[in-house]
Amino acid sequence: MELNDANLQTLTEFLRKTLDPDPTVRRPAEKFLESVEGNQNYPLLLLTLLEKSQDNVIRVCAAVTFKNYIKRNWRIVEDEPNKISDPDRTAIKANIVNLMLSSPEQIQKQLSDAISIIGREDFPQKWPDLLTEMVTRFRSGDFHIINGVLRTAHSLFKRYRHEFKSNELWSEIKLVLDTFALPLTELFKATIELCQTHATDVNALKVLFSSLTLIAKLFYSLNFQDLPEFFEDHMETWMTNFHGLLTLDNKLLQTDDEEEAGLLELLKSQICDNAALYAQKYDEEFQPYLPRFVTAIWNLLVSTGQEVKYDLLVSNAIQFLASVCERPHYKHLFEDQNTLTSICEKVIVPNMEFRSADEEAFEDNSEEYIRRDLEGSDIDTRRRAACDLVRGLCKFFEGPVTAIFSGYVNSMLAEYAKTPRENWKHKDAAIYLVTSLASKAQTQKHGITQANELVNLTEFFVNHILPDLKSPNVNEFPVLKADAIKYVMIFRSQLPKEQLLQAVPLLITHLQAESTVEHTYAAHALERLFTMRGPNNTTLITAAEMAPFTEQLLNNLFKALAFPGSAENEYIMKAIMRSFSLLQESIVPYIPTLIGQLTHKLLQVSKNPSKPHFNHYLFESLCLSVRITCKANPATVSSFEEALFPVFTEILQNDVQEFLPYVFQVMSLLLEIHSNSIPASYMALFPHLLQPVLWERTGNIPPLVRLLQAYLEKGGETIARSAADKIPGLLGVFQKLIASKANDHQGFYLLNSIIEHMPPESLIQYRKQIFILLFQRLQGSKTTKFIKSFLVFVNLYCVKYGAIALQEIFDSIQPKMFGMVLEKIVIPEVQKVSGPVEKKICAVGITKILTECPAMMDTEYTKLWTPLLQALIGFFELPEDDSIPDDEHFIDIEDTPGYQTAFSQLAFAGKKEHDPIGDAVGNPKILLAQSLHKLSTACPGRVPSMLSTSLNAEALQFLQGYLQAATVQLV
Amino acid sequence: MPTKNVTDERLSKFKNKGKDPAKLREKRITECVELRKAHKNENFLKRRNITLSSLPDEEALSPDYIPNEDSNNIPVIQVTHLSIEDIIKDVNSDCRKSQTRGCQAARKLLSQERNPPLKEIIDAGLLSNFVSFLSMDDEPTLQFEAAWALTNIASGTSWHTQQVVEHGAVPAFISLLSSPMLHISEQAVWALGNIAGDGATYRDVLIECNVIPALLSRISPDTPVGYLRNLTWTLSNLCRNKNPFPPLSAVQQMLPSLVQLLHLSDKDILSDACWAISYLSDGDNDRIETVVKTGIVPRLVELMSHQELGVMVTPALRSIGNIVSGSDLQTQTAIDAGVLNVLPKLMRHPKASIQKEAAWALSNIAAGPCKQIQQLITCGLLPPLVHLLRNGDFKTQREAVWAVTNLTSGATVEQVVQLVQSGALEAIINLLQVKDAKVILVILDAINNIFMAAEKLGEMEKLSLLIEELGGLDRIEMLQNHDNEMVYQAAHNIIEKYFSDSLTHGEKVDATEDEFAFQSPDVQKAFEF
Repeated sequence: MELNDANLQTLTEFLRKTLDPDPTVRRPAEKFLESVEGNQNYPLLLLTLLEKSQDNVIRVCAAVTFKNYIKRNWRIVEDEPNKISDPDRTAIKANIVNLMLSSPEQIQKQLSDAISIIGREDFPQKWPDLLTEMVTRFRSGDFHIINGVLRTAHSLFKRYRHEFKSNELWSEIKLVLDTFALPLTELFKATIELCQTHATDVNALKVLFSSLTLIAKLFYSLNFQDLPEFFEDHMETWMTNFHGLLTLDNKLLQTDDEEEAGLLELLKSQICDNAALYAQKYDEEFQPYLPRFVTAIWNLLVSTGQEVKYDLLVSNAIQFLASVCERPHYKHLFEDQNTLTSICEKVIVPNMEFRSADEEAFEDNSEEYIRRDLEGSDIDTRRRAACDLVRGLCKFFEGPVTAIFSGYVNSMLAEYAKTPRENWKHKDAAIYLVTSLASKAQTQKHGITQANELVNLTEFFVNHILPDLKSPNVNEFPVLKADAIKYVMIFRSQLPKEQLLQAVPLLITHLQAESTVEHTYAAHALERLFTMRGPNNTTLITAAEMAPFTEQLLNNLFKALAFPGSAENEYIMKAIMRSFSLLQESIVPYIPTLIGQLTHKLLQVSKNPSKPHFNHYLFESLCLSVRITCKANPATVSSFEEALFPVFTEILQNDVQEFLPYVFQVMSLLLEIHSNSIPASYMALFPHLLQPVLWERTGNIPPLVRLLQAYLEKGGETIARSAADKIPGLLGVFQKLIASKANDHQGFYLLNSIIEHMPPESLIQYRKQIFILLFQRLQGSKTTKFIKSFLVFVNLYCVKYGAIALQEIFDSIQPKMFGMVLEKIVIPEVQKVSGPVEKKICAVGITKILTECPAMMDTEYTKLWTPLLQALIGFFELPEDDSIPDDEHFIDIEDTPGYQTAFSQLAFAGKKEHDPIGDAVGNPKILLAQSLHKLSTACPGRVPSMLSTSLNAEALQFLQGYLQAATVQLV
Repeated sequence: MPTKNVTDERLSKFKNKGKDPAKLREKRITECVELRKAHKNENFLKRRNITLSSLPDEEALSPDYIPNEDSNNIPVIQVTHLSIEDIIKDVNSDCRKSQTRGCQAARKLLSQERNPPLKEIIDAGLLSNFVSFLSMDDEPTLQFEAAWALTNIASGTSWHTQQVVEHGAVPAFISLLSSPMLHISEQAVWALGNIAGDGATYRDVLIECNVIPALLSRISPDTPVGYLRNLTWTLSNLCRNKNPFPPLSAVQQMLPSLVQLLHLSDKDILSDACWAISYLSDGDNDRIETVVKTGIVPRLVELMSHQELGVMVTPALRSIGNIVSGSDLQTQTAIDAGVLNVLPKLMRHPKASIQKEAAWALSNIAAGPCKQIQQLITCGLLPPLVHLLRNGDFKTQREAVWAVTNLTSGATVEQVVQLVQSGALEAIINLLQVKDAKVILVILDAINNIFMAAEKLGEMEKLSLLIEELGGLDRIEMLQNHDNEMVYQAAHNIIEKYFSDSLTHGEKVDATEDEFAFQSPDVQKAFEF
């Protein structure tokens, strides 16, 4: 591509087309540009256009296109072709700084970004003169140019704030400091002087203050990794001026905008950050300056208004004070009673007040309000910062601070009492203050777990919280109602039970409040109270205690779901689930209505599932209804099936992916309730469950395996009889699962159920294939998890079909296979098997191999007999081997190709652990003793002689213990 | 820039088994580039001579003093302040007296407190004259003045030192070491110290010229203390600097004498000998081994806690810190010598730099096997460690955080429990707000390790709640917004693994049409496990 007018003209036309709203014009133009961008001179053509084009739109468009081109192509990736020719690279680097600085702001920003992208790759080695070129511009006196340089420098250096220390990084910083630190300092001083000379020129001031803000940001980046020698030597200059700027106010720079932070606020925020950085990391050197900054920042807080635009500044400033007041050697700066009073009065209390912005959120954006207020995403808010300062001060001054605030709380409550309608916000602040003062440790699960002993929470509850909850009009002062509900919720572990019981019916009433925040809080509070544990680990509040309110509770919860905006309110749905769980059989009379409402809801949300938590609790509630009802009367299961199957069918037919794992779990739960037969409705579905498409989604695998297990348990015979043609498909699922390192255990679950429940003759033709598949996987890629499952399966097979059958099938695949598996897998690895049921299966299986397999006594396998016995005794007596080889730790991550729908297990669809051996074997050690005894009587003399030749002494001693306990002897 | 290696190294830390404790030990070697001012409390690389201990008479220091020829072999010369031009003239004359006068005037200029004219003297071309004066054994005054002048020139920048060396001063000074005149020999010691202090290159040039035997031969029971001080300092410079280290043979030569010097009682000698040991031990395990083998470790531990000898604490502590960064066995010698009884005091030392070094040493001991960790706990090191985590300055807190993480990676479950009960968990959670990505990552690593211990005890939920109560959950959640990719990942992993509802992930398989075909695979080769 030549650098000529014709090409410039062509490029101009295509750039114009990329701005066309019509995609049929726009897309081909974008395609064309991409197709030519590999040509030499392409970037230079863009630079020429952005500099010289007559059309401003084209200039900006060229700048944006250039920046994106650099972003995509500048980095040289190893083993990939260099996408920008070297002459172009050199030309770009030679011109771009100049071009950036001489361009209007819109274009300057794009080029500045491009420089920092290039700089990230080339600076400093491949672009050694970048900095010097930039620094010389400081002397230009033109602040448009200077700000361009500063902005570019900021984007080049800001990574120093988060990267790890390394020699490479620090060498770069050293180089930057050598060329940049002194000119920056000079510029800083000069800019401050200019601010004084231009103190009355608002336009000049704006430019100068944006320079100062950038300079303060650069200071932060350059000082972040460690305190550079240069800045230590020039601390006086920087800190004195920073301090001066913090205390400066210029009416001309104040903005009318309430939301957007102005230049003064931005600069001061950054200075607070700089001071905080020095206070934290360079304490020793910064100590002489710190008291001045504390005073300045505190004065700043006292004089700053409530507007949203000050939020960042105020929160940064308060956080600075909070971090300093916790340090033992700065304690003295705060300990004076007047200081403390003043901080409490002028800094903390004002920032805890409920502002109009909070009020707007409460009414119009309740989700956001709840997230901030309840879930702790209030990190950057003023209230949170004030709260942190209270905690920080309490570290050394808990007594005095509590006393000071008690005074404030009382006076604010008195204000409220005088004229509630005007002064309700005072009470809100008072409650907030009490909360932040009292809470020392908090968890979602238990609320506040440690409280300030100086605050009387119960008294406050009785005098100020309860009256609000009792007020007949639930829609009056919704903020205060929400505060009161929240108080009960977070202090639930601190309040006596009788007060909680007193609160419960009131909370139920508040479920009817129109305010979303209020009824959501009520639902959440009830849910939390219902999870509390009493002294004997039952729920603190019992179903009996709830009896008088049961109907109203259930009614109000479902009514609350009808409020606009709460149709899929997860807090309410969770409260429904929790209420079912607490009330247990007391809900049975209401089930017909409830199940109707739940299925109706399910049908609605399945159209467009959008609230995962809501949906999850909805399914949990369904499971609870089934369990609770069928526990009393299993026959009712069919009425649930009648109610649910139509919805489930619709979900399956419409392939609502999010819901399938849940549906499979609920179906498993239902099927497991049936006693040993499988209804035809389930059998009709069976072939569909084997469809590969279902198994492609990872989230389906665990619940589908479980569902198939339920089919096998209830209908193994039925499948063999009426769906024998589906057996290969079933085994195909097993084969699929076994091939994956992540899912092989699921494959074994399925296989174990097949072996346990299918009639043996239905499997004869497949048995050998099954083992060959397992052996191939063992040979190809064995992992600890696979081996553990394999061992359990082999032993289950042995228990079910006998040791001889096991040995014969192994040896039919390959001669001496049985011995090899014993020697290489069973003996060395059995110690790794975990889980009581799994261990029992292995113990019984190995006992059978030892005592019921003639080949072990009379062939070359005999040499394995004692080692196997020793392994079994070790299995009984030694701790489990939970070691995992290093290369296996990340299997789950490595084998998962990207993110897929996760499987959310339903707690209330849970299944009892299945023990295929059951009571047939009480104590496997006794079984071993008895079986050995039987073997020894069959061939007298052999067993004792095998034991005495090679069993180690310790194992022998254990074995003798088993024999004694079983009261048998070996002959 | 986070490279692949860093990521691998990071991943290897998540593995609870089979990890190499040596990898956890944080070595000083990695810290080369510095942004800070050079350490204020370390000893000097080069020194200019303004006083000299072996001068026959104190008054010789007085500029007006005119030594008496008969008693001291120093001729009587009236020295006035000469201009550089006069000095050049005098030094270049053939008259010994003028030469001596010029030389002495030059030495005085070079000894003035402010802005000694090092470059002017060099530019005047006087160095070759001075060097030639060094070998004039029959003119001891001239010899001495020249040696002094050269010493002070060598005390300048590297360029200044280079000029002195390139004029052939090294062999001349080494032969001067054996001068019968103690003050001349001492001056040579000093000059050589300045040359050695310039860096590894000249240090090795000196060693090549056999400076060590010449120096060591001057050590005897009668050597005056002042002389020994200078000599010890020069030896310490010969031990100093890395890239490369001094040759092992040279180190072996010096060590016995250094050990001997370390048993003296003079504070300055002890300090410089200790610094020498600290340089020699600042290297790989083989370097550390040469030091440990001398049996000096117990003495170093003793010096670390010496009440009156405050200056000793830093170099002794540094040496011990280096030694415990070595192998488990080397660390054990320090433990056996009682270092764990001394560290608590140093961790509460008023000076922040000492707290930091002590915490660093502790972090390396904590990287050891659980037997050593047990000793650390038994000796009561956890309370001072937590104290530093809470109240230390940032650099100290950083070392203390490493100690916690190292400990949690090698400790038994019971030991981790003790650590948590000592308040360390709370303290590191508070530090999650520090402005240093690496420290944050190291803390997250510790939290992860503590979770693994809790997993073994079946107390995961208890730990999650505890961390939430301590405000840790909020902080870790916030770190998911951190700009550093690895910090974000680590925080995210902890949240996913320990603080969210358990989600099981599945896996992808290939498919056919209606159902999977159960296919019998062809058995081609025999199974062999």
